[in-house]
Amino acid sequence: MTNLVKAMLEQLKSKEYRKLRSSDPEAQPILYPVELFGFNMGYSERTEYQVGNVTLDYATVITEGFEATKSRILAAKAKHTAPEKLAFADKMLSEIDRMIAISDAHRKLAEDKCPRLFEALGKIPRKGAESFYEACVFIKLINVVLRRRGVQHLGLGRFDQYMMPFWQADLDRGVTKEELFETLEAFFIALNYDSDVYGGMQQGDNGQSMVLGGFDEAGNYLFNDLSKSCMEASLELNLIDPKINLRVGKNTPDEIYVLGTELTKKGLGFPQYCNDDVVIPGLIKLGYDKEDAYNYVVAACWEFIIPGVGADIPNIRTMNFPLMVANAVSEGLVTADSFDDLLALVDKQVIDCCEEFINRKYPDLYDVTASIFIGNCIERLQEMHHGGAKYFNFGCHGAGIANAADALAAIKKCVYEDGTVSKEELLAALEADFEGFEALRNKLKACPKMGNNDNYVDDIATHLMDVFSRNLNNRSNLQGGIWRAGTGSAMEYLLSAAKCPATADGRKAGDVYSSSFSPSLDVKTEGILSVIQSFTKFDMTNIANGGPLTLEIHDTVLRNEIGIAKTAKLVQLFVELGGHQLQLNSINRDVLLDAQKHPENYPNLIVRVWGWSGYFNELDLPYQEHIIRRTHYSL
Amino acid sequence: MCFSIEEFSVYDGPGIRTSVFLKGCPLRCTWCHNPEGQVYGRQIVRSPNGCIGCNNCIKYAEQTENGPAFTEKSIENCPGGLLRYCGEECEPGELCEKLLKNASILGKVGGVTFSGGEPFAQRDFLFECLGKLKGKMHTAIQTCGYTDADTFRQALTLCDFMLFDIKIMDDDLHRKYTGVSNERILENFIQLKNSGLDFVVRIPLIPGVSDTESNIRQSCEFFKENGVDYVELLPYNKMAGGKYKMLSRSYDPKFDTEAQVHLHPEIFSEYGIKTAVL
Repeated sequence: MTNLVKAMLEQLKSKEYRKLRSSDPEAQPILYPVELFGFNMGYSERTEYQVGNVTLDYATVITEGFEATKSRILAAKAKHTAPEKLAFADKMLSEIDRMIAISDAHRKLAEDKCPRLFEALGKIPRKGAESFYEACVFIKLINVVLRRRGVQHLGLGRFDQYMMPFWQADLDRGVTKEELFETLEAFFIALNYDSDVYGGMQQGDNGQSMVLGGFDEAGNYLFNDLSKSCMEASLELNLIDPKINLRVGKNTPDEIYVLGTELTKKGLGFPQYCNDDVVIPGLIKLGYDKEDAYNYVVAACWEFIIPGVGADIPNIRTMNFPLMVANAVSEGLVTADSFDDLLALVDKQVIDCCEEFINRKYPDLYDVTASIFIGNCIERLQEMHHGGAKYFNFGCHGAGIANAADALAAIKKCVYEDGTVSKEELLAALEADFEGFEALRNKLKACPKMGNNDNYVDDIATHLMDVFSRNLNNRSNLQGGIWRAGTGSAMEYLLSAAKCPATADGRKAGDVYSSSFSPSLDVKTEGILSVIQSFTKFDMTNIANGGPLTLEIHDTVLRNEIGIAKTAKLVQLFVELGGHQLQLNSINRDVLLDAQKHPENYPNLIVRVWGWSGYFNELDLPYQEHIIRRTHYSL
Repeated sequence: MCFSIEEFSVYDGPGIRTSVFLKGCPLRCTWCHNPEGQVYGRQIVRSPNGCIGCNNCIKYAEQTENGPAFTEKSIENCPGGLLRYCGEECEPGELCEKLLKNASILGKVGGVTFSGGEPFAQRDFLFECLGKLKGKMHTAIQTCGYTDADTFRQALTLCDFMLFDIKIMDDDLHRKYTGVSNERILENFIQLKNSGLDFVVRIPLIPGVSDTESNIRQSCEFFKENGVDYVELLPYNKMAGGKYKMLSRSYDPKFDTEAQVHLHPEIFSEYGIKTAVL
């Protein structure tokens, strides 16, 4: 670690730098004392969330420079006559001028404080970047302008692919690997400076995801010198940003999994693994062009989107699976003569819910600045959400699938098969939230649960996801795009759960669901091998909106190379089984409990919350509690 | 009777293992971290975390000479679901069917390890399972080596791998800390070595008991005589005492549990023995 990197880390940890921010929303982006890239937020309040979950086409603009971008806009303007298009072009041009002006003001600031930045800003952003350093500065400029406008969850996309030409050009010019690695580490640190003021549900939920690796259409695995350096920088720095996503597949070399597992061992909650063998065919089925599907990224948490050309909104609605079951039970259990009758009622709930989502009117989104970096917005002179982007699809979370399947399995077994619980008794117990029905509740809890590789309940989950995806996937969203079903939950494991009464798996009213696509909390499964089999039975290409199987393993599993190699093998097994996405976290419950009692001893304790990692101390209590309650697989 | 089946065991044999813990053990190692594995019969255990003090478990308990004993009703009526049976009667056929569910995914990358307790304590059950799994899954036995020579010889033909504990070389100390002599254990080890079966030797490093210079030196002498060039070291786990409370037992290990564990890398290298710390 170089002195510059150490100094930047120290500055970050001291948090003193935050005092330099202003409370004026119009304040310019600022430089912090130890600086390499500049373009920090400058404003101290968290911005309001507007447009988000988007990954820009950085490569085109940072390569060509804003002057060339302006020429493209002018050329497009010459081809169009519609007044609203011409007005849109003028707005884009003035946004670019504004960015250039911000850059010029910044250059002045940098003159004494950071000569390297001063020099770079003499060329970019007017002209394109040539060095890796200039390219990083350019990205920072674009990001700060957009974030200050309320564009949030800006992913970094396939950083190792689009930045590789700059990295290689530097190497060819004779820049040493050490110098480049310093720049990379400094850039990673810089991404952490302002994450406390970025919009998001909780601190850390800022969408700074980076995607590494991935297969091309010819079947080559694209993992280059920069990909590896990103992993190494992350290993060395121990910071929450950027969050690493690894694209893998059955032909990914073993050493990539080992490298990934070494990062898991750090306890940062990443990498998250995305399986190309499943995600790419899934996106193609949803109508994405082959070339785009091969280029997919994770937007912020786990949502599969296409960088640079898409304006999908991958989290616009949530299918609250346990609520569908609870509604069907309260409305129709008495009259349902067989389990299949009851299941048909649940199906109807799910289908009606899909219809309601499809026919609902959604708020109009509009962002000129982001449109400069998306798809055909410039050529067509159309805003990204209004025909400029190639894709404007809507994604729907699928929350609480395990709780829903567990609840149905318990009813099937106790009410319809064994007859050990009467319908009336069950309804009374649910109504009373199990108060006074402890024995009945334990009986329900003892029924088959998802995560045990038991078809009795896994088949029910498969059925529910099938109904969900069949009734949503590829349906028109009435705004030029289609719908996509997924298995994510985001914060809905709290919010949707709060709206759901007691369920027949023994879950009490309002009690939380598991995160995304995972066994219900408090369920003791047969173990991690059964879990990965339970959660790979469904054809995952049908739920390509994303949402990972989330597994917590005790940190002692990864205590040496033997444990790391075998855990890497486990991830490979998951990929071979056809899982779509895996979030593997290394955790120690005792440490978390102690951190709740003595937060002062754990200022840097990092945990994975859902699709992002954050500092444990900075999370609201329900999120802390949720992590502590997850099953931690030990030896 | 097994008391636990753990999938994804990474320190119990080659590759990813499913470990089957059989109940019952002839030894009483004072540091035992699986005390529920010592007794042969089924027990009710109570998880200490999450108790709201409703006393339902006591209400449904039976009065015995040793105080209240939990019953099935206690388990049923615990609102937190904190009570459970430890130890489940199962047929070898049923157990193997369950284990074989993972045969396809573990085929190339691991197998099953029978542990305990001491697996030889349920010899017939163990052998029947090994017979059923033979050729279908890689099998290993994790043993303290304390069983009769015939049983041991037979086992060598039934499994694919053995994890063999050698704890203390001095017989008096072995008796003191484990309750039995190590004579049979060392004899069985010679059988293992001569059989040609793949195996690994493991030493639990207990502070002041087995991690002493003299014990490590004596062990190394023994290993050298027997051509052992790789040993796995299991440093004492400070959490070992945790489970005694669940069994309403006190933990009295008879050594300083806080003391530093000595790995003695210099002695092992003097004897040319490679080690891995697990």
